[in-house]
Amino acid sequence: MKSTQAPRQGIRAALEARSQRLYPALHQSPASKPETGRLRWQDRTLLILAMVLGAMLLLRLETASAQQMTTLPDWGLTFSSEDAQWHQLALHTSVVVELDGQLARVHIAQRFRNDSLSWLEGNYRFPLPTGAAVDQLFVRVGDRIIEGEVQPREQARQTYQAARAQGKTASLVRQERANQFATQLANIGPGETVDVLLGFLVTVDYRDGHFTFRLPTTFTPRYASEAQASTGQAAPQPAMTVAQPVPDHGFELKLELASALPLATLESLHHDVEIEETPGGYEIRLADAAAQTDRDFELRWSPALTREPQSTLSTWRDGDEVYAQLMLLPPTEASLQAQPREVIFLIDTSGSMEGASLEQARAALHEGLQQLQAGDQFNLLEFSNSTRSLFPRAEPFTGGRLLQAQRWIDRLHANGGTEMAPALQQAFQGEVADGLLRQVVFITDGSVGNERELLALVAAQLGASRLFTVAIGAAPNDWFMRKAAVIGRGHATRIGRLEDVAETMNSLWSRIRLPAISDLCIDWGTGAEYYPEILPDLYAGTPLWLTAKLDREPQRVSLCGQLNGHSWTHELEPQELPGQATLATLWARQKIEALEDGLSFGQDREQTHAQITQLALKYGLLTAYTSLVAVDRTPARPDQEALGMASVPSLLPAGSTGRTAAFPNTATGWPLQLALGLLVLGISTLLLLFPFAQLQQLRRWLTRAMRGSVSHS
Amino acid sequence: MIPGRQALALGAALLAVGIMGHALWIPAKASLGQELLERAWTRQQLQKSAVKPWPWADTSPVGVLEIPRLGLRQLVLEGSSDRNLAWGPTVLGTLSAQDPIVSGHRDTHFRQLADLIPGDRLLLTDVHGTRSYRVAWLDIVDSRRQELVFASGQRRLTLVTCYPFEAQEAGGPLRLVVTALPEQAATDYSSARASHRDTLSVTTR
Repeated sequence: MKSTQAPRQGIRAALEARSQRLYPALHQSPASKPETGRLRWQDRTLLILAMVLGAMLLLRLETASAQQMTTLPDWGLTFSSEDAQWHQLALHTSVVVELDGQLARVHIAQRFRNDSLSWLEGNYRFPLPTGAAVDQLFVRVGDRIIEGEVQPREQARQTYQAARAQGKTASLVRQERANQFATQLANIGPGETVDVLLGFLVTVDYRDGHFTFRLPTTFTPRYASEAQASTGQAAPQPAMTVAQPVPDHGFELKLELASALPLATLESLHHDVEIEETPGGYEIRLADAAAQTDRDFELRWSPALTREPQSTLSTWRDGDEVYAQLMLLPPTEASLQAQPREVIFLIDTSGSMEGASLEQARAALHEGLQQLQAGDQFNLLEFSNSTRSLFPRAEPFTGGRLLQAQRWIDRLHANGGTEMAPALQQAFQGEVADGLLRQVVFITDGSVGNERELLALVAAQLGASRLFTVAIGAAPNDWFMRKAAVIGRGHATRIGRLEDVAETMNSLWSRIRLPAISDLCIDWGTGAEYYPEILPDLYAGTPLWLTAKLDREPQRVSLCGQLNGHSWTHELEPQELPGQATLATLWARQKIEALEDGLSFGQDREQTHAQITQLALKYGLLTAYTSLVAVDRTPARPDQEALGMASVPSLLPAGSTGRTAAFPNTATGWPLQLALGLLVLGISTLLLLFPFAQLQQLRRWLTRAMRGSVSHS
Repeated sequence: MIPGRQALALGAALLAVGIMGHALWIPAKASLGQELLERAWTRQQLQKSAVKPWPWADTSPVGVLEIPRLGLRQLVLEGSSDRNLAWGPTVLGTLSAQDPIVSGHRDTHFRQLADLIPGDRLLLTDVHGTRSYRVAWLDIVDSRRQELVFASGQRRLTLVTCYPFEAQEAGGPLRLVVTALPEQAATDYSSARASHRDTLSVTTR
């Protein structure tokens, strides 16, 4: 009691008196007695150092807590230790794309750092464009370069687990979904930097005279339906129904567009870009170095050709195997005739469509209605948890029904889950009136978890209908939308921004109004395995790309089909193109895709599995059954004497007449010299700035201290 | 007392200027060398005969190495001597050979190689034209135990520089060896990967 009662001032006064006695220098003004402040400059230096260190520590703490507060997005690097999991933002993302003809080679390099103090396992996810053939993975952790190697999935997993348990740096890449890949990185040391490089091939879209290259940079949160969860299948990701805000994230993008001919148009649809003309074509860069990745990147260009060729056929020989790619452009609109139809609009009003997506969908529906003509029949269906329709069945198109439909569209709002199957069923069921062609226009962002079930349903129930998908929103599920259209023998369209709705819907409309070539058939003149196997109907402005593996070099390829009710034939001469090894990769990717599709039509799972594995190993591709597993190739401790154990396994190639030479000295060490020079300069400055008297005092103080320690001992 | 301190400071300052001058002369020479080589190369293209980049030079530019992604463009000199390396990357053997080996200093001309990744495109121009390569492998080797192989009959481009890039002292034993294959071959990684051993231009001593 008494001690607490003691006045605080008393304690303070006592402390001050003690301080006065012990450190008189502190209590005098500097001007009055300069020599007594003998160690003052050291004190000042220390204080400044402490402040700088303190500030650095504070900053670090702040960034650390900021990272922990962010939600875990689907893509990027997630670290997990025993008790926590958090997302690591990429320090830097750089994407290089080489566009040549219909092919794009994409390299994505991302840099991450383990900012924590412990060894961690990282999980890296990245969304990929539909049909991407992933064939390269390199991971650089600290000094070690790890290269991904394709192995059967289970074997790869075991290799990874073993390496992980032994504390080795290892990496495993798996396919989680058709358009999503995940990489696991084991044993990343504290403070270590990780570079992940992913390389893949993808084809470029061409339609309506435009090439379109699209690179996903975000990923739509997936909705996994309850039916799927109850079947006991492991859901690859936690299901989320509400879109999480994606944190800002800077990235660098460069595209090299090879084009011998000048282009009519070249534009980026969602990002500002800088375009530079190069001798071989064009170079495109993001104008804003800190661009955001909340939208997919989309580049569109069209060649300045007015009279395009009807078709091209390129081949590439690899030993006994010949790979070919054929492009067929349908004739112009002017020569085609329209047909009456029954149009079913099917619109997704689930929660993921809320906001801009529904706005786009509404606009698309209004556009679509405008395009109907007398003699057409139509109906509108919306679905979320359940399906609702405007009319019980399709009705002839009249002014009154148009008004009714427009009011119905304006009242739509987005809420609830995505039960797509009953809606599709309802769209396909029922008889079509005589002489009408049923076209189902399906508008959605495709955010579903049970894609395969839905595709099987489309295949089983399609009948004579044609399914046209319209993908909407910032990042729709491209793979599903395109696959559904292929199985539905229609076409996939995509709307990226509201201003495009009218244009896109118009072009979709003019296309599906006019089927150009139907019942298409092809004769390669030799044994051929080609993809897509289901040759679609061709519509005005939509070309067909076929990739094939042939038994021998084809002499001539002929095409046949129905054009405006008459039979039609066309013949092509092949041309061998240099450097098209990518044709083989592309073919393998399409074959694997076709095999995977076979599963939804009841193909034997075991057999398909074996076939895909074999193909993937041969062509070095990542699939649902093969994984890329990393092999640590560089010595673990490169700068130590114990290097002898980790020499690079390389021998002089057999039969070569090579000469050998020693390695040149390839370092100068000038930065170290410069640092040394700066140090000497610093010493000379100190000598000039601080009066010599202080040095003498310092010397005296030091001698005293030394004498003291001597006498002590 | 006072003059002694000033003299000491002056002496230290002079020493510092000397050391720093010597240090800075290295990067200055490296970029000046490229400037002179670029001019000599242009004149050489016009005259179709070797041009000395500076009056006392005993070498001449034989080609240009470019890495478009990194924005690197360096004139390559003939003869991998230490003196030539100060002015620019040098080629071991001849640049027109099937498997040229180009070396450069990690802290001047080849500093950007630290950011090189497999798949990067390399362009090598000599008097005959431009050849295009893709980086296939990056290897770190110990120069005490291994040596370079050239004139092996393989088609490739090898870049060599010291490693690690962050090291301060010169003369370390490690080297970064970049193997690049002709563009057509390199895109087919699956088959090329199998022949990695045969393709590397490094052998055990």
